Amino acid sequence: MIDNFSLAVSHGLMLIAAWRLIFRRDLDTEDMPKPGAEAQGLRKGSPRDA
Amino acid sequence: MRDLVFIAFLVAIFGAGLRRPFIFVLGYVYIDNVAPQRLTYFLLNAVPISQIFAALAFGAWLLIDDKRNSRLAPRQMLLLILLIYCGITTAQADFPDSAWEKWDWVWKALAFAIFLPLTLRTKLRIESLALFMVLSAASIVIVGGIKTLGSGGGYGSLNLMVTNNTGLYESSIISCVAIAMIPLIRYLMKFGTIFPPDWRVTLFGYALIFACLLMPIGTEARTGLICVALLAVLALRFTKRRMLYLTSMAVVGLAALPLMPSSFTERMGSIKEYKGDASASTRIEVWKWTWEYVKDHPMGGGFDAYRSNEIRYNTVVKEQVGGQTELKRVLIVDRARAYHSAYFEMLGEQGYFGLILWLVIHFGGIWRMEVLFRRYRDREADDGRWIGWLAQALQQSHLVYLVGSLFVGIAFQPFVYILVGMQIGLDTYAKRRATEAAWRPIGTNRLSPA
Repeated sequence: MIDNFSLAVSHGLMLIAAWRLIFRRDLDTEDMPKPGAEAQGLRKGSPRDA
Repeated sequence: MRDLVFIAFLVAIFGAGLRRPFIFVLGYVYIDNVAPQRLTYFLLNAVPISQIFAALAFGAWLLIDDKRNSRLAPRQMLLLILLIYCGITTAQADFPDSAWEKWDWVWKALAFAIFLPLTLRTKLRIESLALFMVLSAASIVIVGGIKTLGSGGGYGSLNLMVTNNTGLYESSIISCVAIAMIPLIRYLMKFGTIFPPDWRVTLFGYALIFACLLMPIGTEARTGLICVALLAVLALRFTKRRMLYLTSMAVVGLAALPLMPSSFTERMGSIKEYKGDASASTRIEVWKWTWEYVKDHPMGGGFDAYRSNEIRYNTVVKEQVGGQTELKRVLIVDRARAYHSAYFEMLGEQGYFGLILWLVIHFGGIWRMEVLFRRYRDREADDGRWIGWLAQALQQSHLVYLVGSLFVGIAFQPFVYILVGMQIGLDTYAKRRATEAAWRPIGTNRLSPA
């Protein structure tokens, strides 16, 4: 029961991640970093691309 | 039933790999860590899924991937030298059969660490690798965490789905790896773009960190507790109010003590293991033996050279005689004791040269991550600040491993070599990015309205 729960959570998240990666162009090619182009977390007080 | 679910999962990853070949690399990392073939009873056992994904990952890179500016970094060269050198010592090993058996998985771990950085060309690839490492280890850690909360665990008795005690499923290894994962989890919680920071990510992240912290308690592997202590000390570097931090750590520690299972406090409180004093004294004796052994065999004895040792030592045994406790010295003779330390494992198996190479590869990584951290930590968010903080997380993980491996023979643990590969990949990525940025007109690459 616990085993299956743990496997379901971790594998489910990996599947979602793989699914999201398919649609991310920046997985394979990356432009030169343009100002503000890269979406990043933890930007202090910057609601620009929120 | 479970077989079918695993097969469906692998087919989905395979399908995703057809669209984005880098996902084959992630699939290999997953198989390497979780070993789904060991969690099932039939079907997957029969198929060499690890080899299939390795071939797919390598083939896709060779045929499709962009290989411009790909070259071997210094540490990749060192890994290559170590790989060749291990091949030579294996050919001359004291115990050829078991040496070739170990070589069989060691070469794969080293070869993958050499290959991996070549594929890590974009930020997202590096992030997805970190995510897959964390999530695949999470499938073991979540089980361990919940079972520890439920039952309290116990040394060698916590059931982590697989009973054969290999790979990440071994108690000491998983408790060391789980703690080493914490800095990576924290990085992904702050800088993730696949799962961008929100309340769900925060909740899952903290729950997973909590599960990681429970692993040393659940497995009662003392190494894990040392790793936790190290991580707490490392966190001091980024703590503004250090006294407050130290006081609250002490309070939390003391408050947690009564909640621990009694077997845990006994095991941690005494230096006794399941064989009384034997564990600690054999370790020291094996290390002494190794030290003497390499004096005669400067190139080491090849993998599993420890099998030739014979150790004699005295241990003190308590005996109840007529209501009184007597202490008796007992001579114990022990054969083929494992090294219980990655450093002595390298020394005994690969000799002086192998140990030095290994130290340079690992401590070189600590140093390179420090360089990257200092260079990037204060940059703007869109100017590579993530590089600095990922370097910091990788450095902490690596330090946890290097301290944990003082007491566990995990010199070639594949999980760690993926970590090393990721460090090299991050390093070359940063270098490439800096070179490209240098070609741009001055002032455009740092422009960032606050």
